[in-house]
Amino acid sequence: MKKLMIGLAALSLAAGLGVASAEDQKLTVAVSIPAADHGWTGGVVYHATRAAKLLEAAHPGLKIIIKTSPDGASQASALEDLTTQGINALVVLPHNSDELTGPIKKVKSKGVFITVVDRALSDPTINDLYVAGNNPELGRVAGQYMKEKLGKADIVVIRGLPIVIDEERQKGFDDAIKGSDIKVLDKQFGNWSRDDAFKVMQDYLTKFAKIDAVWCQDDDMAVGVLEAIKQSKRTDVKLVIGGAGMKDMIKKVADGDAMMPVNVLYPPAMVASALEMTVSGLYDKVPVRGKYILDATLVTKENAKEFYFPDSPF
Amino acid sequence: MSGVGAQIPVVSCQNLSHRYGPVEVLSDISLDFYQGQIHAIIGENGAGKSTLMKILAGHLRPTSGILTFDGQQVTFSSPYQAEERGIVLVHQEILLAPHLTVAQNIFLGREIRRFLAVNDAEMNAKTVRVLKDLEADIAPDDLVENLSIAQRQLVQIARALLLPQRLVIFDEPTASLTPMETDALLKLIVKIKASGVAILYISHRLPEVKLVADRVSVLRDGKLVESRSAAGLEPVDMARMMVGRDMAQLYPEKILPLLRKMAMDVDGFTVPGFVDAASFRVGFGEIVGFAGLIGAGRTELFEGLARLRPSRGNASLKGIAFQSSPKAVMESGFVYLSEDRKGKGLLLSQPLGTNLTLAALEKFQVWRVIDRPKEAAALSQAFDDFDIRAKSSDMVAGQLSGGNQQKLFLAKMMLMTPDVIVIDEPTRGVDIGAKQQIYRFIAKLAEGGKAVVVISSEMPEIIGLCHRVYVMRSGRIVAEINQDSMDEESIVVHATGAVKAVFSAVCV
Amino acid sequence: MTVMTKTRARFNLKAAAPFVALFVLIALGAFVHPKFLTFDNLVQNVATRTSFIAIIAIGATFVMASGGLDLSVGSIAAFVAGVMLIYLKSGGPEAGVGMIALAIGLAILVGAACGLANGLITTVGKIEPFIVTLGTMVILRSLFTYLANGGSISISPDLKDIYAPVYSGTFVGVPIPVLTVLAVAAVAAFLLYRTVFGRHVIAVGSNEDVARYSGIAVNRVKLWTYIIQGICVGIAITLYVPRLGSANSATGLFWELQAITAVVIGGTLLKGGTGRIAGTVAGAFLLEVIGNILTLSNVNVYLIGAVQGTIIIIAMLVQRSLMRKS
Repeated sequence: MKKLMIGLAALSLAAGLGVASAEDQKLTVAVSIPAADHGWTGGVVYHATRAAKLLEAAHPGLKIIIKTSPDGASQASALEDLTTQGINALVVLPHNSDELTGPIKKVKSKGVFITVVDRALSDPTINDLYVAGNNPELGRVAGQYMKEKLGKADIVVIRGLPIVIDEERQKGFDDAIKGSDIKVLDKQFGNWSRDDAFKVMQDYLTKFAKIDAVWCQDDDMAVGVLEAIKQSKRTDVKLVIGGAGMKDMIKKVADGDAMMPVNVLYPPAMVASALEMTVSGLYDKVPVRGKYILDATLVTKENAKEFYFPDSPF
Repeated sequence: MSGVGAQIPVVSCQNLSHRYGPVEVLSDISLDFYQGQIHAIIGENGAGKSTLMKILAGHLRPTSGILTFDGQQVTFSSPYQAEERGIVLVHQEILLAPHLTVAQNIFLGREIRRFLAVNDAEMNAKTVRVLKDLEADIAPDDLVENLSIAQRQLVQIARALLLPQRLVIFDEPTASLTPMETDALLKLIVKIKASGVAILYISHRLPEVKLVADRVSVLRDGKLVESRSAAGLEPVDMARMMVGRDMAQLYPEKILPLLRKMAMDVDGFTVPGFVDAASFRVGFGEIVGFAGLIGAGRTELFEGLARLRPSRGNASLKGIAFQSSPKAVMESGFVYLSEDRKGKGLLLSQPLGTNLTLAALEKFQVWRVIDRPKEAAALSQAFDDFDIRAKSSDMVAGQLSGGNQQKLFLAKMMLMTPDVIVIDEPTRGVDIGAKQQIYRFIAKLAEGGKAVVVISSEMPEIIGLCHRVYVMRSGRIVAEINQDSMDEESIVVHATGAVKAVFSAVCV
Repeated sequence: MTVMTKTRARFNLKAAAPFVALFVLIALGAFVHPKFLTFDNLVQNVATRTSFIAIIAIGATFVMASGGLDLSVGSIAAFVAGVMLIYLKSGGPEAGVGMIALAIGLAILVGAACGLANGLITTVGKIEPFIVTLGTMVILRSLFTYLANGGSISISPDLKDIYAPVYSGTFVGVPIPVLTVLAVAAVAAFLLYRTVFGRHVIAVGSNEDVARYSGIAVNRVKLWTYIIQGICVGIAITLYVPRLGSANSATGLFWELQAITAVVIGGTLLKGGTGRIAGTVAGAFLLEVIGNILTLSNVNVYLIGAVQGTIIIIAMLVQRSLMRKS
């Protein structure tokens, strides 16, 4: 959904011009997100903080509290603490659905507006607003591109961790290449870690004499994969596709890297969009309820500039 | 007093043998234990006493031979089965949980309950009663870690005494006790006997054996060499039977030093909580004893001087004030050999060589690198000088017998070439043969001009060895006794603070 | 009357046990994939990527031999990597070999400083090392996240290309990280087995009281083991950084567990009093070989964890039963 990205740009514009709405209504919005334990969540923290600053500047009466938590249990306690402080709205990217559905429901019962980001709750009636990337689509777009670009190929896959996000992405990918001549030689977990993906890729290169392409489920792992290929001095690997839109990888796409011509978007900036929509709902009384699923945009050399945030940590 | 002929023995063993691999440690032992009889088993370390005891208590199964209980043949596959029948072993080693209280330890594994909860009140009450029988000054809610070794030994005895008993095996029960405590324990053992229990008594202290035993059996090299009534048997006879030869005099002849040059001079030295303003002197060539009850502050006084504990006051060594770190004190010529040989003296899991050179490692290095050949040479030298008997040079210290450990410990500290040597309980857990060697060695040190301090709870040791004795009580030095007036009674009077000597032979 | 048997020449099963386990595993690997037993796989790939954990585990051998424990190594690793990368980035486009050399020095220094902090808090503060290093683990991890602004820190591709041979290069055919491990192990073995300090480490680990009563400055010995651990982490990071030219929040994650496992598999006891440097290196290699074999095999991807755990336990059983026999 490009609209959202545009919405974000419009917001920055509005803030820059100082066109704050006249009301100085005192409102508090809490943002509860996972601590920056890997690149993508680091991006989430960055974008949440950035958007909060802009929004607070635009609305003098607005206070945004950002709270990061290292795991599900501490996120649940953090939610309790935030509610005690008195909040009007909550933007939450839950660690996992099962553990946090209950605590979020409790917050909701206090009359707080609930925006859920990225990971759906077990009970979808709780959230007033749901903003998420499209995991099956991320896999599908990558698979589709591979099928069209290579036609017939032997490929290897490096998965993340055995959780829902990974399964959805994998299923999307598998569906896209179904019936094609793309043959998956092996699928192993790289734990969304550069170092682990490096090891898995080294071993793939030992295990298989010829590999045409690699799909790994995010850009962090792509860093390890590219290095392993480079060190092996193998020339058979023609294509590596990552995902999520890490700035280093977007830059490669923009620079026309031969091995990495595309990327599939799953932007951590979605938290900023969610926050912006929530705040405008509170102030402007625009109805923002519902479900907003972001496209898994295919980033190519042509559109790469739009998605390049050099200051973001991710 | 001995068992009646027609009576069936409580426990009897016939042709008992045990071997570890190819080594036969017990061969063909046949013995009977009758109720109402104290049966002492004596022998040097390694004679097979502990193996026999372990078999009787169900810790070990014999390689061959028969065990009967009340005339019925039995086999014990665990100590619990033996305990169920009333065979109780009082271990020599301390097997208590240090972070639990005395009462909790005594009832460990057989706690008295009230519904679901533990009944502390009743356990404490029972503990108080049994400790009173032992005349032990220990409260039921004291933590075991705060007790001295002797007090722990008493707790262990108390624990055993609370079990129903048919045969009680005491393994060196008095090894760490003071004369007072020993006295109380021996009285209690006699009392237990009178209640119709069979008692197996293992001890190195032959005078004690003479005092309480009805029957004496002697083991040597795994064989039973003698089993006879104790009547008319003198300690010196027992010693002869144990070692298989005539024991020369146990204590070496005392040679008084001619020149009494001061080695150390201590004036108003305090170890907070343990020792209050102690003053004493030790001359070169002298052997000075420190007597007193357990907890009198003897160990703490010397640990304070060695800077192993916080301390204050004046103390000088060869005219120079004591150094301020343990290492510097040792290097200046003062060494302290702890009574706790296994816990503070030797690294039980490490090889003999590592133990030998640990304190004096500086002497075995070039540019901080250990000179291994020099170290190996020192070890074989120590083997010869101290008659350390080890099966191989790469054994670990824990595999040595008590006597050999003590010799290794001595050898280790002597590598520091000290001028003042303080030995705390030099012969605890050491068999009689090694004891004699250690005494000779101490005497030789003094003859060679060193100053020696012996801290001991064994009166005969103090009297037999020392030129002069200081007696401590409750953290103070209360008396100095010279050679001429040194006897057990005068020492005990000062140690206990009693006006009249309460120390007496056990009344039977 | 002393009986002495010279047994120095006897084959030491205790020390050899982890190597036997490793040998068995390698024999197993040979059946799994024809390329397993190649120089490229076993040395160029597996041994090289073992190097970080191996070097850190060598440091951990000192800490554990003295009866201590360091849970913070993974976080020290991330923190050192962060400081090193930021320093390298500060050089701009002209940064070259000289700057890399300085960065290597800096990494070792920062590692040593982290170890010093752990050691001081443990000894002067008289706090259990478990708690102290758990604390510094969290602190240093958070400091890294702060340095990285929540994401990753990378150096320019040009600088990375200059530095890269330290990880991917070879000297007389042997990868440089492998040579580094061998060098660190040789120095560590000398330190532990031949010097006064090493002897004191073992003494403190087997019984602190005995060490104190023997005039050993127990706290100083412990302090140095933590500093050595820190230096080892620093060295490991100088090999880690050139591999990807970057670090992120996953850097060093769970390295403490891998290092401790390697040390224990190597025959060093958790309770202290022994230290086996060669065994530790074998242990680290063994862990990595297990992962390699599993990726090369066709074990169901969801069951890899179960197989991995089972192999580690079997390896320990083999190793411990050999140790008991001797």
